Amino acid sequence: MLKDSQIRLCGPIEADSIVNGDGLRAVVWCQGCRRHCPGCQNPESWDEFAGIVVDLDYVKNKLIGLKGQAGLTFCGGEPMLQPKACKKIADWARQEMGWSIWSFSGYTYEELKAEGGDKWDFVKSLDVLIDGPFILAERDLSLNFRGSRNQRLLRLTNGEITKVE
Amino acid sequence: MYRSIVKRDGKVVKFNSAKIADAILKAANSTEEFGVKEADKLTEKVIEQAQKKISEKIPTVEQLQDVVEEVLLDSKYKKTAKQYITYRQERTRVRNAKTKLMQTYRMIAYADAEEDSEVKRGNANVDGDTAMGKMLQFGSEGSKEFAKSFLMKPEHAFAHDNGDIHIHDLDFWATGTLTCCQSDPLVLFEKGFNTGHGFLRTPNSINSYTALAAILLQANQNEQHGGQSIPNFDYAMAPGVTKTFRKCVIANIEKLLAFASEKEITKAQIKPIIEAVEEKHKLTFPALDDEFLKAIQKEIKSKLGESLTIKQLTKSVKEAAADTEEQTNQAMEGLIHNLNTMHSRAGAQVPFTSLNFGTDTTPEGRLASKAFLEATMKGLGRGETPIFPISIFKVKDGINYNPTDPNYDLFKRSMEVSSKRLFPNFVFVDAPFNLKYYKKGDYRTEIATMGCRTRVFSSVFPESDGIVTGRGNCSFTTINLPRLGIKNGIALGKRTEADWDGFYKDLDAMIDLVADQLLERFEFQATRKVRNFPFLMGEGNWMGSEKLGPNDELRDVIKHGTLSAGFIGLAETLVAMTGKHHGESKESQELGLEIIGHMRDRMDELSKKYKLNFSLLATPAEGLSGRFTKMDQKEYGSLPGVTDREFYTNSFHVPVYYNIGAMEKIETESPYHNLCNAGHITYVELDGDPSKNIAAFEAVIRKMKESGVGYGSVNHPVDRDPVCGFSGIIDGDVCPSCGRNERDGEYGFERLRRITGYLVGSLERWNDAKRAEEKARVKHTVVLDKIDREEKKSKQEKLVGKI
Repeated sequence: MLKDSQIRLCGPIEADSIVNGDGLRAVVWCQGCRRHCPGCQNPESWDEFAGIVVDLDYVKNKLIGLKGQAGLTFCGGEPMLQPKACKKIADWARQEMGWSIWSFSGYTYEELKAEGGDKWDFVKSLDVLIDGPFILAERDLSLNFRGSRNQRLLRLTNGEITKVE
Repeated sequence: MYRSIVKRDGKVVKFNSAKIADAILKAANSTEEFGVKEADKLTEKVIEQAQKKISEKIPTVEQLQDVVEEVLLDSKYKKTAKQYITYRQERTRVRNAKTKLMQTYRMIAYADAEEDSEVKRGNANVDGDTAMGKMLQFGSEGSKEFAKSFLMKPEHAFAHDNGDIHIHDLDFWATGTLTCCQSDPLVLFEKGFNTGHGFLRTPNSINSYTALAAILLQANQNEQHGGQSIPNFDYAMAPGVTKTFRKCVIANIEKLLAFASEKEITKAQIKPIIEAVEEKHKLTFPALDDEFLKAIQKEIKSKLGESLTIKQLTKSVKEAAADTEEQTNQAMEGLIHNLNTMHSRAGAQVPFTSLNFGTDTTPEGRLASKAFLEATMKGLGRGETPIFPISIFKVKDGINYNPTDPNYDLFKRSMEVSSKRLFPNFVFVDAPFNLKYYKKGDYRTEIATMGCRTRVFSSVFPESDGIVTGRGNCSFTTINLPRLGIKNGIALGKRTEADWDGFYKDLDAMIDLVADQLLERFEFQATRKVRNFPFLMGEGNWMGSEKLGPNDELRDVIKHGTLSAGFIGLAETLVAMTGKHHGESKESQELGLEIIGHMRDRMDELSKKYKLNFSLLATPAEGLSGRFTKMDQKEYGSLPGVTDREFYTNSFHVPVYYNIGAMEKIETESPYHNLCNAGHITYVELDGDPSKNIAAFEAVIRKMKESGVGYGSVNHPVDRDPVCGFSGIIDGDVCPSCGRNERDGEYGFERLRRITGYLVGSLERWNDAKRAEEKARVKHTVVLDKIDREEKKSKQEKLVGKI
């Protein structure tokens, strides 16, 4: 079992990413996903017991060292499987680094809102949620930051949708 | 006595003792130690000795010459003996060069560029498969050997051959060409010019302005060995826009009258009317003020007896502006097509061209910049990314950098275009070393670049100090810095502490050698005449050449050019000395700045001493990064972080294989820009398609500007499937858009990459070292310590691209 102060990651903390949101962004890659979408780019991130477990402080220390990032994006895997840890990092990054916070999720906004709890709390910390599963039949390379047409880029304020892209 | 002798080529010919006597006499003549009689006596002795010493019945030339040496050394004529030996060595050297040359020729003739022929791929811009490409290479290799054997001091040729230094464009040494020139088209356009094949009048429309610009670059390219640059492209094209606008105004008024009047009125009648009005009022694109329009109205009434309303005239002028825009767009498209297809240098190359723009804030200049950007964005006939020209956007506070600046829209658009087409690059007028020369509105004082990075700005002569136009580099030579590091550092395991005294002693000796070599070449260049360069010098393109006659020597004008010493592999040098490069250790960064700072100080000293413009170049290293490394590998073996790759890192760059954040890379490299006054560039690699994330692209460019970088660009992969037309990133063999496997069809994917500043469409023409370098490039990321690098890399490759 993970401690509250830990998070399970599937890859290194990334910096200067330009494919995971506006501007240069830091990326936290979360391990574990139950969607198992056909055509997923990162099937090795599915196993909820794989990857490596690190302290949140470790992640924060890595993020503090980054220069010139516009924000932080949670990718995976499914960030919503570790919503408490993600929220802690997100709130800290907004406060301390002045960053905007984005997250991907295989759940839809509506599903997350209906479920409430920790997942919804994390959504409320986000500036952007890119939601929904990857559907191979709807794959479209021309979309910004999304893999398939069913996915939405939702601009949020305190959990409320202000713009859909 | 012998009957026969074996020549060097194995042929057996009749023996003739007079030949021996002749050779001895020749040596004696220059020392004046003896004459014919003594020579004959010595010859007899040689034959006598030879018969004792040589067991074969038929001796070889070499065997006999050995005996001549012995006999002379045993005699009292020591001077003559020395003379004979020197002469013999010299002959051997020339003969060897010939043999080597013939081997090289054989390689060019038979090897296919697809096969592993480094000679052919030395320059990625030459197609070594074509007849003219081969012709060029034959000439190039022969000319190189000639320069080394007959024109240069042997120590310079030796240092080049053994890889201590690299004399760039050695094949052009014997022609006396200079490297490059930043030409101001306005100087030539005003008076018209002769390309050597015909006289061209002053151009009269934007279309002919761009056509002549291309011809200018092409004509220059045939008289120089480097690239061609226009430092003021927008300023230079602006008058062409004005002229086209005037023509369109006249044409539209003619049309207007054709409909309104019952008389036949021609352009020839309207033209003098506009000209008369222009004497008092300024013709301004894209709209004419009321005064101008009223004056036209009045003139038409009095000269032609026709009445037109101001509203009618305003409408026709508006149309004229739209026509002008349209024609400018077409002219720029034509220019880009021209620069990618017109041949130079026996047809094997297109000219290496660079266009600098972005600071002219007049509506005409802005239209030229805008149209040029749109044409670049549009690409060539099938949407391919143009390889040429290298376009350079001049970034300047108060002109285009801030949202309130008049040309801010052009800066924004430049970033969008670059994120799709890899060009423009960005040169920063506000970097302190550039800003100090800047005078607002005077394009001659705005920094510009040539080719992949060359920069010519300061000068020991006041008339050229801080002026970019009409000047260029004379020649440049690069020092193999890592070798000095290996010799004096810890990499070989011979010592535990770097020997810095030894390093600097070696470095100074190498700088002295390079300075001497640059001066030697300069002397040769200086004694060439204007008529050797009928366009560059004969047409007054190069600063001061307009005052010279066809038979004047060039010394007094090429002094405005630069003599540059370059360096390669600062990273490997630091690893060899201390174990760490400047991207991974603060101490190494300080040491790196000390080394490069010292080199710059030496250049400044040399400039004072010789009153010539010595400058320090961050060498781009085409064809070179592999040559040095291969030799050092052979000599010292594979040293980790030093010689264990196929290439040395470009100039002061943080190694491409090292993981470093984009911002950190910029900060690490920026102080070197100030030191390398002959040219510099910083690249940042991005992990995806930045055209979908301009904010990221802009963050990088702004960081460069704020960090005092002089010149920079962003690298990102641009792949294209010619079948479905998809342009973006293609990982592996399958097109992500149409799902086509590259191996199935006859058309492969096009993969555009930047190689030492130039774009190359496929990796085939890259030399081995450059291919290895491209493969090793990593995007800038931060690593979790626990995950080892290999694992990280394979993971990342999968993660890039996204869910």
